[in-house]
Amino acid sequence: MTRPFSVFCLLCLPAIAGEIRFNRDIRPIFTKHCTACHGGVKEAGEISLIYRDRALGEGKSGEKAIVPGKPDESELMRRIVSKDPDEVMPKPKHGPPLPEKEIAIIRQWIQEGAEWEELWSFIPPREESPPALKQKDWQRSPMDAWVLSNLENKGLAPSPEAGKAEWLRRVSLDLIGLPPTPEEWAAFRDDNSANAHEKVVDRLLASPHFGERWAVMWMDLARYSDTMGFEKDPARTVWPYRDWLIRAFNSDMPFDQFTTKQLAGDLMPSPAPDDFIATAFHRNTMNNTEGGTDDEEYRIAAVMDRINTTWTTWQATTFSCVQCHSHPYDPYPHDVYYRFMAFFDNTEDCDLNNDYPSTKVANDPARQADVTRLEKEIDVLRDQINQEGLAVAKTITDYQVWKSTAAKASAATGGIAQQPDGLFLSSGTNPTNSSYTLTFPAHSFAAIRLDILPLSDDPKTWSGLAAVCGDFHVWLVLPDGTRQRINLKEVIADAIVGPFDPNEAIRGGGPGFGDYPAQRGPRWCVFVPEQPVVAPEGSQLEISLFHAISCNADNQPSILKKFKLSFSNNPALQAFVASPGRAQRWAQHGALKGQYNGIPGAMIPVMKERSAAGTRDTRVYIRGNRSTWDQSVQPGIPEIVRPPKKEGRLSRIDMAQWLMSETNPLTARVLANRLWAELFGIGIVETLEDFGTSGTPPSNQPLLDHLALRLQKQHKWHIKPFLRELVLSATYRQQSKATPALIEKDPRNQNLTRGPRQRLTAEMVRDQTLLISGLLSRKQFGPAVFPPQPEGIWKSVYSGAKWTTSQGEDRYRRGVYTYSKRTSGYPAFLTFDAPSRDVCSPRRLGSNTPLQALVTLNDPAFIEMAQAFAKRMTTAGTELPSQIMQGYQWLTLQEAPPAVIDALLRLHADATAEYAKQPAEMKKLGATPEEAALVLVANTMFNLDSALNR
Amino acid sequence: MFPHLQLEHLTRRHFLSNCSMGLGSMWLASQGLSWGASSAIKKDPTQPLLPDLPHFAPKAKRVIYMHMAGSPSQLELFDHKPELLKLDGKECPQEFLAGKQFAFIQGVPRMLSSRFPFHQAGESGHWISDRLPHIESVIDELCIVKSMYTDQFNHAPAQLLVHTGSPQLGWPSAGSWATYGLGSENQNLPGFIVMTSGGVNPDAGKSVWGSGFLPSVYQGVQCRSQGEPVLFLQNPEGVSQSLRRRTLDALSDINAKIAQEVGDPETVTRIAQYEMAYRMQIHASDAFDIMQEPESVHKAYNTQPDKESFANNCLLARRLAERGVRYIQLFDWGWDSHGTGPQTDLRQGFVDKCKEIDQPIAALLKDLRQRGLLDETLVIWSGEFGRTPMRENRGGVEMRHVGRDHNPGAYTLWMAGGGVKAGYSHGETDPIGYEAMIDKVSAHDLHATMLHLLGFDHEKFTYPHQGAMHRLSNITKGGTKVVKSLIS
Repeated sequence: MTRPFSVFCLLCLPAIAGEIRFNRDIRPIFTKHCTACHGGVKEAGEISLIYRDRALGEGKSGEKAIVPGKPDESELMRRIVSKDPDEVMPKPKHGPPLPEKEIAIIRQWIQEGAEWEELWSFIPPREESPPALKQKDWQRSPMDAWVLSNLENKGLAPSPEAGKAEWLRRVSLDLIGLPPTPEEWAAFRDDNSANAHEKVVDRLLASPHFGERWAVMWMDLARYSDTMGFEKDPARTVWPYRDWLIRAFNSDMPFDQFTTKQLAGDLMPSPAPDDFIATAFHRNTMNNTEGGTDDEEYRIAAVMDRINTTWTTWQATTFSCVQCHSHPYDPYPHDVYYRFMAFFDNTEDCDLNNDYPSTKVANDPARQADVTRLEKEIDVLRDQINQEGLAVAKTITDYQVWKSTAAKASAATGGIAQQPDGLFLSSGTNPTNSSYTLTFPAHSFAAIRLDILPLSDDPKTWSGLAAVCGDFHVWLVLPDGTRQRINLKEVIADAIVGPFDPNEAIRGGGPGFGDYPAQRGPRWCVFVPEQPVVAPEGSQLEISLFHAISCNADNQPSILKKFKLSFSNNPALQAFVASPGRAQRWAQHGALKGQYNGIPGAMIPVMKERSAAGTRDTRVYIRGNRSTWDQSVQPGIPEIVRPPKKEGRLSRIDMAQWLMSETNPLTARVLANRLWAELFGIGIVETLEDFGTSGTPPSNQPLLDHLALRLQKQHKWHIKPFLRELVLSATYRQQSKATPALIEKDPRNQNLTRGPRQRLTAEMVRDQTLLISGLLSRKQFGPAVFPPQPEGIWKSVYSGAKWTTSQGEDRYRRGVYTYSKRTSGYPAFLTFDAPSRDVCSPRRLGSNTPLQALVTLNDPAFIEMAQAFAKRMTTAGTELPSQIMQGYQWLTLQEAPPAVIDALLRLHADATAEYAKQPAEMKKLGATPEEAALVLVANTMFNLDSALNR
Repeated sequence: MFPHLQLEHLTRRHFLSNCSMGLGSMWLASQGLSWGASSAIKKDPTQPLLPDLPHFAPKAKRVIYMHMAGSPSQLELFDHKPELLKLDGKECPQEFLAGKQFAFIQGVPRMLSSRFPFHQAGESGHWISDRLPHIESVIDELCIVKSMYTDQFNHAPAQLLVHTGSPQLGWPSAGSWATYGLGSENQNLPGFIVMTSGGVNPDAGKSVWGSGFLPSVYQGVQCRSQGEPVLFLQNPEGVSQSLRRRTLDALSDINAKIAQEVGDPETVTRIAQYEMAYRMQIHASDAFDIMQEPESVHKAYNTQPDKESFANNCLLARRLAERGVRYIQLFDWGWDSHGTGPQTDLRQGFVDKCKEIDQPIAALLKDLRQRGLLDETLVIWSGEFGRTPMRENRGGVEMRHVGRDHNPGAYTLWMAGGGVKAGYSHGETDPIGYEAMIDKVSAHDLHATMLHLLGFDHEKFTYPHQGAMHRLSNITKGGTKVVKSLIS
């Protein structure tokens, strides 16, 4: 009976000696018990415990939930202690009442003034002076002080320094994704100089393989894939972006440039050719080529994916929550999602099957600058040509609407009719390959203006299907019935915007003038005849407007539903387009295109901003639904993450610069944490993808903040010197051996009581095995390769794509170059936890499954490598024990303990005996029983735990 | 006599004697937070598939989900619409077209009545067409839901919705939820097995059996009815099973030493996983060897040994159910009857597809019943959406072949066994079978109901991800309910 009594007494005391801290003591209580109803999604009783002003303000009842300093006047206190089931919070159906201890903590917090703190991650990191340490001689890198101080505070101690072999293999796999060669090991082993470790690290950082290892990390975030995804999952050429990444990491491009180029390279003042390739980062979104899909729907899906990926990658924020409602735990109101969407809503890509827009990557790198220059010149000139025409077109003000005598839709199911005000309105269903034929009493004319209008005048409804004019033909029908085709010379558009050239409407090629993939407002253009048309008395004009070609090779109708045709006899525009000067401009344009087309290369998708005239009116989607629009918004950044102070409309480049600005509280921490996790296996914030209230708090915030500032300030966003400090630190150099005592005190090594020990990544498993077996090709860059994979893995619907195994050295390239198909990833990689990269994958969750064993034991690719490894071992000496001993050392750098050699020798002996009895089986692996047995030993060695870990 | 089993036994003892230092429990302590801090379900990853208990007593222990990928026409099989017969060949009234999005129909299509006659069958009086005579023989086992609907009209997103509760990629499938929540009754086979037939994978690819944000160990393992059932299951050429055993002994031996040396609990897990891989080699090969079945069984199912076939997969489903596999998912591709060619003509390809599935499904239900397994096995059959009561007129013109377009408004699903009401017909579509009208059931309702049958409260069976406690029944969808009337 004494025990409950003493517990009760404890509760009478103040809950926590000393001051209550909101983030440490109060926020977790709110998150656990309250914010489900009083948060961002629901604000029951008009109380939200996420925003300070709404928590300290008046609720619906008129009572103040929290009155600083006065718990007894605070409605919140009254409700959490109430015994009345109608009053008590949380409501009985939502959960049990708060424990006495938590009530006491809240009371004390209000008593002490209800000091509010934003979540730790919203407060910018501050450099604190290094902590005082008891153990003075341990530290090697500045960060070690923060690690050791934490250990000392917890009564823990670091582990001894790792042996040379352990550290070298770890650092080598961590920095370049490959284990050291025997020569590299020997050099380090025999180097007794004081800076031997530094020399190794500098060699690794300078290795061309450095970028191949770190690109993989980024490719998971960038959802890099060699296919487009969804049903047919067709191939996408985007490997130059992967090569760009490898080169960027190799050249230690500072992370601020790395960021700006990928998010807004196309908008930089004078972008280099590579800057366009970098923007493929956000063109790795999926593209749905399935028949009958709505391209606007999947354009928006891609835009939203860009928002979510940007926030996950740079801000570790679960921003996707805000698509449908305000964030449930963190202070992000609903509309900021769409303000942020406005940064990405104005690119030209629209889920076209050809991945438009793209840039050409010249086969000959020397021509790349020409490509970039020509692409720009062609675009600029095309726009200028139109602008020049437009200037003349605007001088024509005497357009007349003619009254049609007949209006016919080709489809029996559809209709078209002219209204009294001259507008044509469609009715019924006019399918893609149908046309309208409109007949007018003819007057002479020299210009025809087409206005394509949205069905309603209310901009909130401008989210419907596209409206694109395909072929536009004009005939003059003379009184005697003769039909004269009127040749049209040009289409002058209100703006050159969207994926199609307006002139296509008179060339009978593809879709021409209109708004695609959704009609987002009124559009107009002028069709200009080669000659002014003189219409004899009694003649008629017939216009056929054909929607012949569907816009995306499938069946999405882009029908004109409401439009107006008007005519002018003012010859100014006709004279202008027929002038020699105009012809010269077009010749110039043609010449540029000729030069451009003459440069062979691969087209890769890139970001391309729409012209100012094509700026989309981004609106808030009510409850995240793209067909219910609310108010119009301008590009913007949530207040809590400290947006830049700037007049005027913010651009994608402003957004990228905000991410990398000194005031952004998250970017440096998120990156430092990610790099840390790559080396130490677990982030200081374990949820690499979530630094919000719902993520895990940092296990050592001073350490994280120190690292973040170090990366941002000292190293000026250079990753190599940052990693250098980490891998040379005393923390990283500890041995990884875990004793039961260590596991008891620091089970997951979050305190760094020992060195990291991580399983190899999917790519490392392959790369190491290739290297050790002597098969590895060190060839870099270029199109993806197809190493052996079992038959029958690729079975996409409506797709003839085949996996054709690469020949020659391409069979043995590093994993980063393996073809990555979204709906059917490389099996050995998927089994070792590589993501399919459908969407941004911020963290690989490691698994340890029997299927992994089947891969490394049985995958024919691994058997091929085991055969090569066995052969290589026989070069290491004449005696089997020394061969195996050497093989083990190549694989692990360690001297094999005699028991290990014994076990492998016994296996070899047993296998030799068995193969001697079964020569047919033997021949499948080797020429002699001993040889076959050694292959089996090699196969076994690949599966050793010490080989699969680093 | 049974050298494999003997070796297996020896090894397990060997393993236990070497690793009895409590590393398993050490592991648990160490992993307390790694799989979701607030998840109530704790897993021992040395045995992540150990059976677990659900929230309450389940009515079904396992699921066999037969997905007819491409979506079969409800109007040719189960949803009898006499009104549609009267409208056959007439132009579709405008009111059916207004505000609709189609994949391929353009302009004004013509109405298309069922190509096949219907009749009532069994004691239940279920309506069924003449295309499924074998299924008719077990018709009283079926609980037919005629009022399924979806909001996706393209294959890939609709299939994702059916299996993950979201049309987007990246969400865990029902099978991975079930395996995560319940583990598996057989530790020598994957707990969630997928088999495909019809030559291609489903449109949404492997994501329909993915584990999303759940640990990857719970994703479906695609097994094949032709060649080796599990990828890399067979020993390499030149490695006999006894040599494989020998290598694993050496490996376990060395790995156990490494475990003591480095003290990494993951090493112990790895040793266990290698042993399970070995057992899987034996047990999966055994489970997938349909030649062990007598001729009468092959005849009943109409199997095609050594080929990829739906019939083989049905027989395998029974063999896996017998062995306690938790979730068995069959995909049969070839049901996208647009009428663009003979393969997709309702009068040709569709008829063949019906023949391919009719006998094996009936055999499976009878077989499960006979073995006393049907009452504890929830069998589900569906597509990802329905088909239009109009004839497809791709490009706005009448096509040579007869087909129907995608219709998210209504489709038919049936269940049998595991706690569902046999002989019961749920919900109705409108008089032409275009829209579900009465007692509509969404994929989310279906998921809630499936989980209920497996013993879970769908609102409480959650996993933390991206700042929210997610569940199969999709937290963004309100009003999701267990369809109680389906439950016996």
